[in-house]
Amino acid sequence: MKNETANSYEIKHLTFCKYELITPNKTITLSFPQMLELRRNINELTTFASLTRIVNNENFVLLFVADKQHLIYLEIPQLLHLKEEIELFFHAPASILV
Amino acid sequence: MNTIVRKQMSIHPDVMDMLNNQIGMEMKASAAYLAMASWCDQRELLNSKAFFYKQAEEEREHAMKIFKFVNDNGGAAISPNVTNVNNEFESLKSIYETGLEHEISVTESIFKIFKAAREKNDFITEVFMQWFVSEQSEEEDSFRSILDIFDLMEGMPLKMIDERIPTE
Ligand SMILES: [Fe+2]
Repeated sequence: MKNETANSYEIKHLTFCKYELITPNKTITLSFPQMLELRRNINELTTFASLTRIVNNENFVLLFVADKQHLIYLEIPQLLHLKEEIELFFHAPASILV
Repeated sequence: MNTIVRKQMSIHPDVMDMLNNQIGMEMKASAAYLAMASWCDQRELLNSKAFFYKQAEEEREHAMKIFKFVNDNGGAAISPNVTNVNNEFESLKSIYETGLEHEISVTESIFKIFKAAREKNDFITEVFMQWFVSEQSEEEDSFRSILDIFDLMEGMPLKMIDERIPTE
């Protein structure tokens, strides 16, 4: 359990338009457009077809984040965890947009 | 946590994904109509070629309208991949039939976005989509009217049929 937390990627909200992606070995500051970019890339990587391709090949992905300033390494469990983390971050209940 | 996204974006993230998909559909339609325009242009079907060149431009305008809407509301508009454009057709009538089929699928897709926006209380997108709903009914109508001409003039030379196709 301890190990799992140490290896996972998390997202934190800092200020109005500053966010942090906490990775096992570094913390990356993200702007909102960079967050949207990360969301899109993670969603693309976690489609059924894409996951199948990753599992059948190298079993990990390298992903550029923050306008290609950083490269992150994700194994399947980390990838899935980050997807959940982002979903949680973007999930807005219906009432929120009112 | 949830209000964070709301501060940056006034549309719902899931609806944004659908809008980006719609941008792709409009650009694909634009490319498809351009191929149809070329087929007609090469065969000197003057009214049809004018019709499809204009359609191609209109579809691009639709895509741009959505593209700017997404960015204006704090989202991220994505420039789409347009692949597998068909450039081979068997007849003028089949071109218009394909066009109508395409418009019907675009209408369905627009209804889906409208419905999702409503379900997620994304009123900004809902209001924005209203224009597309009426635009689609006009588009379908113009294709249906042209297909009516083909039925009425069955057996007549192609160029005579083409001359009956409204250019405006
Ligand atoms: Fe359109």
